[in-house]
Amino acid sequence: MTYSKPLPVPGADTKPFWDGCREHTIRIQRCKACGHLRRPPASVCPRCLARETEWVEMSGRGTVYSYVVYHVAYDPSFKEDLPYVVALVTLEEGPRILTNIVECDPAAVHCDMAVEAIWKDVTDTVSLPLFRPAS
Amino acid sequence: MHAVGALEAGICKYILISYGHSARSGGGMSQVLSRMAGDDAVFGHFGAAAGYALAARRAMHEYNTGPDTWKHIAVGQRKWANLNPRAVMYDRPMTESDYERSPWIVEPFRLADNCLVTDGGRAFILTTAERARDLPHPVVTIMGLGMHNPAADPVAARHLTGPTGARRAGEQAFHMAGITLEDVDACEIYDCFTYTVEITLQDYGFFGPGEGEEWFRGGTIEPGGRTPVNTSGGLLSEAYQMGLTPLTEGVMQLMGRCGDHQLGPATGNIKPEIILCSDNGGILQTHACCILRRN
Repeated sequence: MTYSKPLPVPGADTKPFWDGCREHTIRIQRCKACGHLRRPPASVCPRCLARETEWVEMSGRGTVYSYVVYHVAYDPSFKEDLPYVVALVTLEEGPRILTNIVECDPAAVHCDMAVEAIWKDVTDTVSLPLFRPAS
Repeated sequence: MHAVGALEAGICKYILISYGHSARSGGGMSQVLSRMAGDDAVFGHFGAAAGYALAARRAMHEYNTGPDTWKHIAVGQRKWANLNPRAVMYDRPMTESDYERSPWIVEPFRLADNCLVTDGGRAFILTTAERARDLPHPVVTIMGLGMHNPAADPVAARHLTGPTGARRAGEQAFHMAGITLEDVDACEIYDCFTYTVEITLQDYGFFGPGEGEEWFRGGTIEPGGRTPVNTSGGLLSEAYQMGLTPLTEGVMQLMGRCGDHQLGPATGNIKPEIILCSDNGGILQTHACCILRRN
Protein backbone atom coordinates (compact mmCIF):
# COMPACT_ATOMS: atom_id res chain seq x y z
CA MET A 1 0.00 0.00 0.00
CA THR A 2 1.35 3.43 -0.85
CA TYR A 3 1.98 5.88 1.97
CA SER A 4 -0.48 8.78 1.63
CA LYS A 5 0.80 11.20 4.30
CA PRO A 6 3.28 14.05 3.73
CA LEU A 7 6.92 13.01 3.48
CA PRO A 8 9.95 15.05 4.56
CA VAL A 9 11.59 17.23 1.93
CA PRO A 10 15.25 17.12 3.01
CA GLY A 11 17.22 20.29 2.37
CA ALA A 12 20.92 21.04 2.75
CA ASP A 13 20.51 21.61 6.51
CA THR A 14 18.08 18.76 7.24
CA LYS A 15 19.33 15.91 5.02
CA PRO A 16 21.78 14.48 7.61
CA PHE A 17 18.92 14.28 10.14
CA TRP A 18 16.67 12.34 7.77
CA ASP A 19 19.59 10.16 6.60
CA GLY A 20 20.13 9.27 10.28
CA CYS A 21 16.46 8.43 10.71
CA ARG A 22 16.74 5.97 7.84
CA GLU A 23 19.37 4.19 9.97
CA HIS A 24 17.13 4.50 13.05
CA THR A 25 19.30 7.05 14.82
CA ILE A 26 18.45 10.59 15.89
CA ARG A 27 21.32 12.81 14.80
CA ILE A 28 21.58 16.39 15.99
CA GLN A 29 23.94 19.12 14.85
CA ARG A 30 26.73 20.07 17.26
CA CYS A 31 28.77 23.24 16.83
CA LYS A 32 32.43 22.35 16.47
CA ALA A 33 33.44 25.69 17.95
CA CYS A 34 31.31 25.89 21.11
CA GLY A 35 29.72 22.43 21.40
CA HIS A 36 26.14 23.73 21.35
CA LEU A 37 23.62 21.11 20.22
CA ARG A 38 21.13 22.82 17.96
CA ARG A 39 17.74 22.11 16.52
CA PRO A 40 16.17 23.05 14.14
CA PRO A 41 19.18 22.46 11.87
CA ALA A 42 20.92 25.57 10.59
CA SER A 43 24.11 26.44 8.75
CA VAL A 44 25.30 28.80 11.50
CA CYS A 45 25.44 28.24 15.26
CA PRO A 46 22.85 30.48 16.97
CA ARG A 47 25.12 30.77 20.04
CA CYS A 48 28.51 31.63 18.54
CA LEU A 49 27.86 32.06 14.79
CA ALA A 50 30.50 29.46 13.82
CA ARG A 51 29.82 27.49 10.63
CA GLU A 52 31.81 24.33 11.44
CA THR A 53 29.42 21.62 12.46
CA GLU A 54 29.20 17.87 13.08
CA TRP A 55 26.28 15.48 13.53
CA VAL A 56 26.13 13.44 16.72
CA GLU A 57 23.89 10.57 17.72
CA MET A 58 21.31 10.99 20.51
CA SER A 59 20.22 8.25 22.91
CA GLY A 60 16.56 8.42 21.87
CA ARG A 61 15.43 9.06 25.45
CA GLY A 62 13.70 12.22 26.55
CA THR A 63 10.74 13.86 28.24
CA VAL A 64 7.59 15.51 26.90
CA TYR A 65 8.07 19.31 27.03
CA SER A 66 4.59 20.00 25.68
CA TYR A 67 1.95 18.25 23.61
CA VAL A 68 -1.37 18.82 21.87
CA VAL A 69 -4.15 16.48 20.83
CA TYR A 70 -5.45 16.95 17.30
CA HIS A 71 -9.21 16.48 17.04
CA VAL A 72 -9.38 17.90 13.50
CA ALA A 73 -7.54 16.52 10.45
CA TYR A 74 -5.99 19.56 8.72
CA ASP A 75 -4.75 17.08 6.09
CA PRO A 76 -7.25 14.34 5.21
CA SER A 77 -4.54 11.67 5.36
CA PHE A 78 -4.49 12.04 9.16
CA LYS A 79 -8.23 11.54 9.60
CA GLU A 80 -7.84 7.85 10.48
CA ASP A 81 -5.44 8.76 13.32
CA LEU A 82 -7.75 11.17 15.19
CA PRO A 83 -7.34 11.93 18.00
CA TYR A 84 -3.54 11.96 17.70
CA VAL A 85 -0.77 13.57 19.75
CA VAL A 86 1.91 15.97 18.48
CA ALA A 87 4.58 16.73 21.05
CA LEU A 88 7.78 18.63 21.64
CA VAL A 89 10.14 16.15 23.26
CA THR A 90 13.24 17.38 25.11
CA LEU A 91 15.98 14.85 24.40
CA GLU A 92 18.12 13.94 27.41
CA GLU A 93 21.07 15.61 25.67
CA GLY A 94 19.13 18.93 25.61
CA PRO A 95 17.64 19.78 22.21
CA ARG A 96 13.95 19.45 21.44
CA ILE A 97 12.33 17.56 18.60
CA LEU A 98 8.80 17.68 17.18
CA THR A 99 7.22 14.23 17.00
CA ASN A 100 4.17 12.09 17.73
CA ILE A 101 3.53 10.23 20.99
CA VAL A 102 2.21 6.75 20.14
CA GLU A 103 1.33 3.55 21.97
CA CYS A 104 -0.35 5.71 24.63
CA ASP A 105 -3.89 6.95 25.26
CA PRO A 106 -3.81 10.71 24.41
CA ALA A 107 -5.51 11.40 27.75
CA ALA A 108 -2.57 9.77 29.57
CA VAL A 109 0.13 11.92 27.95
CA HIS A 110 1.50 14.62 30.26
CA CYS A 111 4.28 17.20 30.37
CA ASP A 112 7.63 15.89 31.69
CA MET A 113 6.57 12.28 30.97
CA ALA A 114 9.55 10.02 30.15
CA VAL A 115 9.50 8.78 26.56
CA GLU A 116 11.72 6.78 24.18
CA ALA A 117 12.11 6.78 20.41
CA ILE A 118 10.66 4.09 18.20
CA TRP A 119 10.86 3.96 14.43
CA LYS A 120 8.19 3.91 11.79
CA ASP A 121 9.44 2.88 8.35
CA VAL A 122 6.97 4.62 6.06
CA THR A 123 8.71 4.08 2.70
CA ASP A 124 11.85 2.30 1.51
CA THR A 125 13.86 5.47 2.14
CA VAL A 126 12.02 7.29 4.95
CA SER A 127 11.77 6.39 8.64
CA LEU A 128 10.07 8.64 11.18
CA PRO A 129 11.21 9.04 14.79
CA LEU A 130 8.14 8.64 17.00
CA PHE A 131 8.07 8.38 20.79
CA ARG A 132 6.25 6.15 23.28
CA PRO A 133 6.19 6.03 27.09
CA ALA A 134 9.59 4.87 28.37
CA SER A 135 9.72 1.20 29.24
CA MET B 1 7.24 51.96 13.55
CA HIS B 2 8.65 52.23 10.03
CA ALA B 3 5.86 54.63 9.15
CA VAL B 4 6.71 56.87 12.11
CA GLY B 5 10.33 56.87 10.93
CA ALA B 6 9.29 57.84 7.40
CA LEU B 7 7.21 60.74 8.75
CA GLU B 8 9.92 61.91 11.15
CA ALA B 9 12.51 61.83 8.36
CA GLY B 10 10.21 63.89 6.16
CA ILE B 11 10.11 61.18 3.49
CA CYS B 12 6.29 60.99 3.65
CA LYS B 13 3.48 63.33 4.65
CA TYR B 14 0.60 60.86 4.95
CA ILE B 15 0.91 57.10 5.18
CA LEU B 16 -1.93 54.69 4.50
CA ILE B 17 -1.56 51.41 6.38
CA SER B 18 -3.97 48.84 5.06
CA TYR B 19 -4.82 45.16 5.07
CA GLY B 20 -7.30 43.20 2.97
CA HIS B 21 -7.75 39.49 2.44
CA SER B 22 -10.33 37.11 1.01
CA ALA B 23 -9.15 34.74 3.71
CA ARG B 24 -12.47 32.93 4.08
CA SER B 25 -13.97 32.77 0.59
CA GLY B 26 -10.59 32.45 -1.12
CA GLY B 27 -9.17 29.87 1.29
CA GLY B 28 -5.99 31.94 1.37
CA MET B 29 -5.37 31.68 5.09
CA SER B 30 -5.34 27.88 5.18
CA GLN B 31 -2.97 27.83 2.17
CA VAL B 32 -0.58 30.21 3.90
CA LEU B 33 -0.62 28.22 7.12
CA SER B 34 -0.20 24.80 5.48
CA ARG B 35 2.81 26.03 3.48
CA MET B 36 4.39 27.09 6.77
CA ALA B 37 4.32 23.49 8.09
CA GLY B 38 7.43 22.21 6.24
CA ASP B 39 8.64 18.88 7.59
CA ASP B 40 6.33 19.26 10.63
CA ALA B 41 3.58 18.04 8.27
CA VAL B 42 5.19 14.62 8.42
CA PHE B 43 3.90 14.36 12.01
CA GLY B 44 0.50 15.85 11.17
CA HIS B 45 1.46 19.24 12.64
CA PHE B 46 -0.12 22.13 10.73
CA GLY B 47 -1.11 25.71 11.20
CA ALA B 48 -0.96 28.25 13.97
CA ALA B 49 -3.51 26.83 16.43
CA ALA B 50 -1.37 23.82 17.32
CA GLY B 51 1.76 25.95 17.75
CA TYR B 52 0.04 28.25 20.22
CA ALA B 53 -1.64 25.23 21.82
CA LEU B 54 1.83 23.75 22.50
CA ALA B 55 2.76 26.99 24.28
CA ALA B 56 -0.53 27.04 26.18
CA ARG B 57 -0.23 23.39 27.27
CA ARG B 58 3.22 23.99 28.70
CA ALA B 59 1.92 27.10 30.48
CA MET B 60 -0.84 24.92 32.02
CA HIS B 61 1.91 22.65 33.35
CA GLU B 62 4.06 25.45 34.74
CA TYR B 63 1.37 27.55 36.39
CA ASN B 64 -2.35 27.81 36.94
CA THR B 65 -3.98 28.45 33.58
CA GLY B 66 -6.18 26.64 31.11
CA PRO B 67 -9.78 26.63 29.88
CA ASP B 68 -11.08 28.08 33.18
CA THR B 69 -9.01 31.20 32.45
CA TRP B 70 -9.58 31.32 28.70
CA LYS B 71 -13.37 31.03 28.92
CA HIS B 72 -13.49 34.49 30.54
CA ILE B 73 -11.64 35.87 27.50
CA ALA B 74 -13.79 34.13 24.88
CA VAL B 75 -17.07 34.99 26.64
CA GLY B 76 -16.03 38.54 27.55
CA GLN B 77 -14.99 39.42 24.02
CA ARG B 78 -18.18 37.90 22.63
CA LYS B 79 -20.17 40.34 24.79
CA TRP B 80 -18.37 43.20 23.06
CA ALA B 81 -19.08 41.64 19.63
CA ASN B 82 -22.76 41.45 20.55
CA LEU B 83 -22.71 45.28 20.78
CA ASN B 84 -20.95 45.65 17.40
CA PRO B 85 -23.12 45.15 14.29
CA ARG B 86 -19.99 44.82 12.12
CA ALA B 87 -18.80 41.83 14.14
CA VAL B 88 -19.12 38.41 12.54
CA MET B 89 -20.46 37.11 15.88
CA TYR B 90 -22.84 40.06 16.50
CA ASP B 91 -25.93 37.84 16.61
CA ARG B 92 -24.29 34.92 18.39
CA PRO B 93 -24.14 35.29 22.19
CA MET B 94 -21.88 32.85 24.08
CA THR B 95 -22.22 31.72 27.69
CA GLU B 96 -19.58 29.96 29.77
CA SER B 97 -21.40 26.66 29.23
CA ASP B 98 -21.46 27.34 25.47
CA TYR B 99 -17.68 27.70 25.73
CA GLU B 100 -17.37 24.46 27.65
CA ARG B 101 -19.44 22.66 24.99
CA SER B 102 -17.40 24.08 22.13
CA PRO B 103 -15.65 21.21 20.28
CA TRP B 104 -11.94 20.53 20.66
CA ILE B 105 -9.87 21.61 17.67
CA VAL B 106 -6.32 21.07 18.88
CA GLU B 107 -6.59 20.32 22.58
CA PRO B 108 -6.22 22.27 24.88
CA PHE B 109 -7.92 24.71 22.44
CA ARG B 110 -11.59 24.50 21.67
CA LEU B 111 -13.20 26.13 18.64
CA ALA B 112 -14.10 29.08 20.89
CA ASP B 113 -10.40 29.66 21.69
CA ASN B 114 -9.62 30.21 17.99
CA CYS B 115 -9.87 33.45 16.06
CA LEU B 116 -12.11 33.85 13.04
CA VAL B 117 -11.10 33.60 9.39
CA THR B 118 -12.65 36.62 7.72
CA ASP B 119 -12.97 38.36 4.36
CA GLY B 120 -12.42 42.07 4.76
CA GLY B 121 -10.09 44.97 5.09
CA ARG B 122 -8.91 47.65 7.48
CA ALA B 123 -6.93 50.80 7.06
CA PHE B 124 -5.77 53.86 8.92
CA ILE B 125 -3.83 56.97 8.00
CA LEU B 126 -0.77 58.15 9.87
CA THR B 127 0.58 61.66 9.68
CA THR B 128 2.34 64.12 11.94
CA ALA B 129 0.41 65.53 14.92
CA GLU B 130 0.85 69.00 13.44
CA ARG B 131 -0.85 68.04 10.15
CA ALA B 132 -3.51 65.96 11.92
CA ARG B 133 -4.65 68.95 13.97
CA ASP B 134 -5.57 70.80 10.75
CA LEU B 135 -7.87 67.94 9.67
CA PRO B 136 -11.60 67.89 10.49
CA HIS B 137 -11.57 64.69 12.61
CA PRO B 138 -10.56 64.11 16.23
CA VAL B 139 -6.86 63.35 16.54
CA VAL B 140 -5.40 60.20 18.08
CA THR B 141 -1.70 60.33 18.84
CA ILE B 142 0.92 57.67 19.45
CA MET B 143 2.32 58.01 22.99
CA GLY B 144 4.61 55.01 22.97
CA LEU B 145 5.89 52.25 20.73
CA GLY B 146 7.83 49.10 21.48
CA MET B 147 8.94 46.09 19.51
CA HIS B 148 10.66 42.88 20.52
CA ASN B 149 11.08 39.79 18.40
CA PRO B 150 12.31 36.65 20.20
CA ALA B 151 12.17 34.98 16.76
CA ALA B 152 13.31 31.46 17.72
CA ASP B 153 11.46 28.51 16.21
CA PRO B 154 9.03 26.99 18.76
CA VAL B 155 11.21 23.86 18.82
CA ALA B 156 14.08 25.91 20.23
CA ALA B 157 12.12 28.67 21.96
CA ARG B 158 12.42 29.48 25.64
CA HIS B 159 9.69 32.13 25.50
CA LEU B 160 6.66 29.90 24.93
CA THR B 161 5.35 30.34 28.49
CA GLY B 162 6.68 33.88 28.86
CA PRO B 163 8.21 36.25 28.97
CA THR B 164 7.31 36.63 25.31
CA GLY B 165 8.28 39.64 23.21
CA ALA B 166 5.44 41.48 24.98
CA ARG B 167 7.61 42.00 28.09
CA ARG B 168 10.30 44.16 26.49
CA ALA B 169 8.06 45.69 23.83
CA GLY B 170 5.69 46.76 26.62
CA GLU B 171 8.52 48.20 28.74
CA GLN B 172 9.76 50.22 25.75
CA ALA B 173 6.30 51.57 24.94
CA PHE B 174 5.48 52.52 28.54
CA HIS B 175 8.88 54.15 28.95
CA MET B 176 8.35 56.23 25.80
CA ALA B 177 4.81 57.14 26.86
CA GLY B 178 5.87 58.03 30.41
CA ILE B 179 2.83 56.29 31.91
CA THR B 180 2.10 53.15 33.93
CA LEU B 181 -0.45 50.35 33.60
CA GLU B 182 -2.80 52.25 35.93
CA ASP B 183 -3.15 54.99 33.30
CA VAL B 184 -4.50 52.57 30.66
CA ASP B 185 -8.27 52.85 30.11
CA ALA B 186 -8.67 49.88 27.73
CA CYS B 187 -6.62 47.31 25.84
CA GLU B 188 -6.87 46.10 22.25
CA ILE B 189 -4.79 42.92 22.27
CA TYR B 190 -3.88 40.75 19.28
CA ASP B 191 -5.96 37.67 20.08
CA CYS B 192 -5.28 34.93 17.53
CA PHE B 193 -6.13 32.59 20.41
CA THR B 194 -7.49 33.17 23.91
CA TYR B 195 -4.14 32.20 25.45
CA THR B 196 -2.44 34.98 23.45
CA VAL B 197 -4.52 37.55 25.35
CA GLU B 198 -3.56 36.00 28.70
CA ILE B 199 0.17 35.76 28.02
CA THR B 200 0.30 39.26 26.49
CA LEU B 201 -1.47 40.96 29.43
CA GLN B 202 0.65 38.86 31.82
CA ASP B 203 3.87 39.96 30.16
CA TYR B 204 2.73 43.60 30.16
CA GLY B 205 2.43 43.20 33.94
CA PHE B 206 -1.33 43.27 34.57
CA PHE B 207 -0.97 40.06 36.62
CA GLY B 208 1.63 37.41 37.40
CA PRO B 209 1.90 33.87 35.99
CA GLY B 210 -1.04 31.84 37.22
CA GLU B 211 -3.00 34.88 38.38
CA GLY B 212 -4.92 35.31 35.13
CA GLU B 213 -7.95 33.26 36.12
CA GLU B 214 -8.57 35.46 39.14
CA TRP B 215 -7.83 38.67 37.18
CA PHE B 216 -10.25 37.85 34.35
CA ARG B 217 -12.97 36.46 36.63
CA GLY B 218 -16.04 38.64 37.29
CA GLY B 219 -16.24 40.41 33.94
CA THR B 220 -12.97 42.38 34.15
CA ILE B 221 -12.65 42.75 30.37
CA GLU B 222 -16.38 42.94 29.52
CA PRO B 223 -18.63 45.97 28.97
CA GLY B 224 -18.65 47.76 32.33
CA GLY B 225 -15.53 45.91 33.49
CA ARG B 226 -12.58 47.62 35.12
CA THR B 227 -10.17 46.91 32.21
CA PRO B 228 -12.08 46.56 28.93
CA VAL B 229 -10.24 44.34 26.44
CA ASN B 230 -10.92 43.87 22.73
CA THR B 231 -13.94 46.13 22.64
CA SER B 232 -14.97 45.27 19.07
CA GLY B 233 -15.02 41.54 19.82
CA GLY B 234 -11.45 41.24 18.59
CA LEU B 235 -10.05 38.61 16.28
CA LEU B 236 -12.00 35.98 18.22
CA SER B 237 -15.44 37.50 17.66
CA GLU B 238 -15.33 40.55 15.38
CA ALA B 239 -13.06 39.82 12.41
CA TYR B 240 -9.55 38.61 11.66
CA GLN B 241 -7.70 41.52 10.11
CA MET B 242 -4.23 40.80 11.48
CA GLY B 243 -2.91 43.48 13.86
CA LEU B 244 -5.22 46.05 12.31
CA THR B 245 -8.25 44.66 14.18
CA PRO B 246 -6.84 45.78 17.55
CA LEU B 247 -5.08 48.92 16.30
CA THR B 248 -7.98 50.38 14.31
CA GLU B 249 -10.38 49.62 17.17
CA GLY B 250 -8.12 51.55 19.54
CA VAL B 251 -8.09 54.52 17.15
CA MET B 252 -11.87 54.38 16.59
CA GLN B 253 -12.57 54.20 20.33
CA LEU B 254 -10.43 57.27 21.03
CA MET B 255 -12.10 59.13 18.12
CA GLY B 256 -15.49 58.24 19.59
CA ARG B 257 -16.71 56.42 16.46
CA CYS B 258 -17.75 53.05 17.92
CA GLY B 259 -21.55 53.33 18.16
CA ASP B 260 -23.13 50.88 20.60
CA HIS B 261 -19.78 49.51 21.74
CA GLN B 262 -18.30 52.97 22.31
CA LEU B 263 -16.61 53.00 25.71
CA GLY B 264 -18.40 55.51 27.91
CA PRO B 265 -21.50 55.82 30.07
CA ALA B 266 -23.54 53.55 27.75
CA THR B 267 -21.20 50.59 28.32
CA GLY B 268 -20.57 51.43 31.98
CA ASN B 269 -16.98 52.47 31.33
CA ILE B 270 -15.16 55.77 31.44
CA LYS B 271 -14.60 57.62 28.18
CA PRO B 272 -11.09 56.47 27.24
CA GLU B 273 -8.07 58.77 27.14
CA ILE B 274 -5.37 56.10 26.71
CA ILE B 275 -5.59 52.72 24.97
CA LEU B 276 -2.91 50.02 24.84
CA CYS B 277 -2.72 48.00 21.59
CA SER B 278 -0.66 44.93 20.72
CA ASP B 279 0.29 42.82 17.73
CA ASN B 280 2.24 39.60 17.51
CA GLY B 281 3.37 37.20 14.83
CA GLY B 282 4.69 33.71 14.26
CA ILE B 283 4.23 31.47 17.29
CA LEU B 284 4.78 34.34 19.76
CA GLN B 285 7.94 35.18 17.77
CA THR B 286 7.34 38.86 17.09
CA HIS B 287 5.63 41.52 19.19
CA ALA B 288 4.70 45.16 18.81
CA CYS B 289 3.10 47.39 21.42
CA CYS B 290 1.49 50.76 20.69
CA ILE B 291 0.02 53.13 23.26
CA LEU B 292 -2.50 55.62 21.86
CA ARG B 293 -4.07 58.71 23.40
CA ARG B 294 -6.96 61.00 22.56
CA ASN B 295 -5.82 64.42 21.23
